[in-house]
Amino acid sequence: MFSESFSVLFHDFRYAPLIIQIALIFIVIAVVATLLAYLSILVARFRGYRNDKRLSKLQPLIDQLLIEHILMNESLNDPNLLPEQVQLPIEVFDQPVFQKKWARQAMIDRLINFRKNVRGAMGDQIRNLYVQLELDKETLKKMKSGKWEKKVQALYEFTSMDMSIADVTILPLTNSRNRELRAAARHAYIKLSKNEPFKFFDVATEPLLEWDQVELFKIISTTEHIAIPNFAQWITYSSNKSIVSFCLKLIVHYNQLSAVPAVVKLLNTKDHYLRADAINCLGKLKTETVEEKLVYMYDSQPLLCQLEILKALGRISSGKYIDFLRQEFLHATDFEVRKHAAKSIINNQWAAKGLVQELVDTATSENKLILKHSMNPLIKY
Amino acid sequence: MELFKNFYEGFVFVYGCTMLFMYALLAMLSLRGIIRYQRKNSYVDYNKLLQSPMAPGISIIAPAFNESVTIIQNVRSLLTLNYSKFEVIIVNDGSTDDTLEKLINEFELQQVDFAYNERIKSQPVKRLFKSTNSAYDKLVVVDKVNGKSKADASNAGINAAAFDYFLCTDVDCIIEKDTLLRMIKPFMDEDHKKIKEVGEPCPECGYIHVVEDSTRVIATGATLRLANSCEIDEGVITRVRPPSQLLPRFQEMEYIRAYVLGKMGWSLINCVPNVSGGLGLFDKEIAIKAGGYDSKSFAEDMDIVTRMCTYMIDNKLKYAIRYIPTTQCWTEGPPNMKVFSRQRTRWGRGLAEIVTIHRKVIFNPRYKQLGLVVLPYNLLFEFLAPIIEVTGIFYYIYLIITGQINWPYALILLLFVYLYSIMITTMAIWWDHITYRYYKTWREVIGLALMAFIEPLIYHPLIVFFALRGYYFFLIGKKHSWGNMQRQGFGQKKKVQTA
Amino acid sequence: MSKILLVEDDEVMPKIMERILHREEYQIDHVTNGKEAFAKLEETNFGYDLIITDIMMPYANGFEILSKVKNRPDAKPIPVIIVSNAGNEDMILEGFKLGADDFLKKPVIPGELLIRVKRLLMQYR
Repeated sequence: MFSESFSVLFHDFRYAPLIIQIALIFIVIAVVATLLAYLSILVARFRGYRNDKRLSKLQPLIDQLLIEHILMNESLNDPNLLPEQVQLPIEVFDQPVFQKKWARQAMIDRLINFRKNVRGAMGDQIRNLYVQLELDKETLKKMKSGKWEKKVQALYEFTSMDMSIADVTILPLTNSRNRELRAAARHAYIKLSKNEPFKFFDVATEPLLEWDQVELFKIISTTEHIAIPNFAQWITYSSNKSIVSFCLKLIVHYNQLSAVPAVVKLLNTKDHYLRADAINCLGKLKTETVEEKLVYMYDSQPLLCQLEILKALGRISSGKYIDFLRQEFLHATDFEVRKHAAKSIINNQWAAKGLVQELVDTATSENKLILKHSMNPLIKY
Repeated sequence: MELFKNFYEGFVFVYGCTMLFMYALLAMLSLRGIIRYQRKNSYVDYNKLLQSPMAPGISIIAPAFNESVTIIQNVRSLLTLNYSKFEVIIVNDGSTDDTLEKLINEFELQQVDFAYNERIKSQPVKRLFKSTNSAYDKLVVVDKVNGKSKADASNAGINAAAFDYFLCTDVDCIIEKDTLLRMIKPFMDEDHKKIKEVGEPCPECGYIHVVEDSTRVIATGATLRLANSCEIDEGVITRVRPPSQLLPRFQEMEYIRAYVLGKMGWSLINCVPNVSGGLGLFDKEIAIKAGGYDSKSFAEDMDIVTRMCTYMIDNKLKYAIRYIPTTQCWTEGPPNMKVFSRQRTRWGRGLAEIVTIHRKVIFNPRYKQLGLVVLPYNLLFEFLAPIIEVTGIFYYIYLIITGQINWPYALILLLFVYLYSIMITTMAIWWDHITYRYYKTWREVIGLALMAFIEPLIYHPLIVFFALRGYYFFLIGKKHSWGNMQRQGFGQKKKVQTA
Repeated sequence: MSKILLVEDDEVMPKIMERILHREEYQIDHVTNGKEAFAKLEETNFGYDLIITDIMMPYANGFEILSKVKNRPDAKPIPVIIVSNAGNEDMILEGFKLGADDFLKKPVIPGELLIRVKRLLMQYR
């Protein structure tokens, strides 16, 4: 009976027009896919719910054990021992739940979270715990995984815990074809490499993306015991422009006045963007000696660099070029030029007391507005 | 007649199949995009950007027209976003209520002499305000003459903006805390950012001369959802819920489908057609060069994106528009038929406008993906779809009346289209679940997913009707009554109930 | 015994703080956002000896709390320490401009925090 009706159906299907055949096939596909979708949603929800519940139980336990036995344990503060030599009472973590993989991962995440909040002796103890509970082995397993996202996660865990990684493991990854992995490996290398953290500045050919620069900056500026090199070397020798531009920012951050000659040389570059970055850097370093050159080159520059020159004069605030600024403010046609000239005049006004008042009294209404805008302490930009 | 009939049937068949194929393709693309995004985001630490001096500045622009009820809490919620370098520009678009007074009192505002540079034309700006309390120094209030459109107000906001990027939003949208961090990221890590080097190193400067060959991200968008039934406390979402009313619930489902499945999919092949007016982050320089928002347009959000793309291509610049799948913004959808019909008619009219204004770009190979994919898709499958659908219905009626219909086959085809649409919608909800479990209970999810079964019968005909009405108004050039959407006021309703 | 108001939306930090600042000497009230902080301040009529706050929180940020606490003429001044992970230069300056007494970036050194808390409490006594 059943097979009979099936064969009728099959017969109908075979001799139906193509459109109907396609439609029938897709009806089956659609029903299956819809059911699958419902099922997946429910399964995903259930899993998520279970994970949340497990974690919400586990996390307070981790916190309590960690704080009670590790962080607040006065007996661990032995001044005669290096932090990593202290034997922690890890037996308190000897509970069945911590055998499970998810729980160990939750533990790693929690420890990282704690290290984001405290450093110093407490930070060291957290790192100790990570090692003594052999959680680094979990991380190492991920490191050996074939999936790039696992590797990235492992690198993240190692760097957060300040664990050293062998150069042989990490160097190949710094040239990985996968951008995410490559970036993560470089960051880890800078943070963890003992010998030459900035080596890849010499060899990198592809541009550093802005996001990578943010991460690198963070790592360079927060890693303790990192030897800060003279960034002028890359300004002079690197042919990778994004690295040059990044080094300019680092020079400003570390106030490396010794790099000034190299940056001044960079003013001759053909690349407008890079030149603008160089001018910006000199302004922030308050290099008074370069003012003359900046004013001299001003007329031949594109708008972008002109604005940077005006800003630099304001930052340096030597008072020597106030006439130049006044000229630009009064005679330039571009709104932005006038605005930045005005701001820099205000920054230089200690050198010419009456000038600002004179300008306010005589300027056109729009220029007056620009001046008042620049003078108003409520307006920052 | 027979020839015409065959031609029509053939055409509709090919058209329908292409459309369904496109949906399937988008679903696959978006799944890839979402999984990739999730993988990357499993370890991205957005706090790094928060601490960095290298974070790019962002100006948030939110026009307000008679928002007195909710303005304070909404501005407060904008001011507490997680980001280090941003400003909030509230454009008071000639409100007739006490919106401005409330702002002045609450945030201790003072009129300032502001060097306002009118790079995009808008209705005149009367005054600008800054707070005297430096806890609110991120706030700028622009008071302007009413321009009868959000576009005009946004333009004034862009003119007052100090930073290189601006986030366009509505003052009544509720934005997630991490929105700026998440949305600025695509601008900062465009994968294809490359600089082409030409020739030997220059003897003068030692650098190899370069041509900027980088892809510039000009806009990013994110998923929007409806706030209608969410629990909201002083501008902060405390509990996400799908709307309880039928009409908004349909819209929530539609939004998830359009953003998670549609735009996310387009983003992967760099063919995003538009960035929502409710939430979009733009490159200010390009937006200004493209002429800003068109205050007369009925679809100003799609219009500005199309013009920005055209500008980039005309100047031989590579560009990208990116979408992120996570929901960053909750907006209040039209709760009743009156407001809804006005909104959709306006959208229909806007779409008609876009395909006529930019007709020179459509099918023009010079405009690459914009001319060959984005706009043709919108012309064929967005603009024409309602028209073809209606002709199809008439054709069916004709067949029924003349007795030529093959009932079993017709029903099978109908069932096929019906089930297919359910599948696509359900998949969208599934994909959405990959990013985050927004709803707390499975009941809420199923309640939303089941809407897919009645959508083709109730919601879809409405949309088709309003779209056609929009086209009709476009054709006869009817003057549009600009009514601002009636806000219910977040959180207010509940207060009244408890009072 | 000193009363401290801790405003912090992260959950790990308060746990650490409670341990650093011993129970015998300090009574810590912990709230997780700006709104609760204001409510607590109103309720106790600013009855705290010290406020430790993060910057970025829902409802009202740390700067607003700071400005409110510091702009109370004729009232007993309350010292404020900002502890935040958003610590770029502009924000630090802004914090000090609004009258913050100290700015600590996360991760903090517990000993340092304790000393700063003690010193401020001494100063304002």
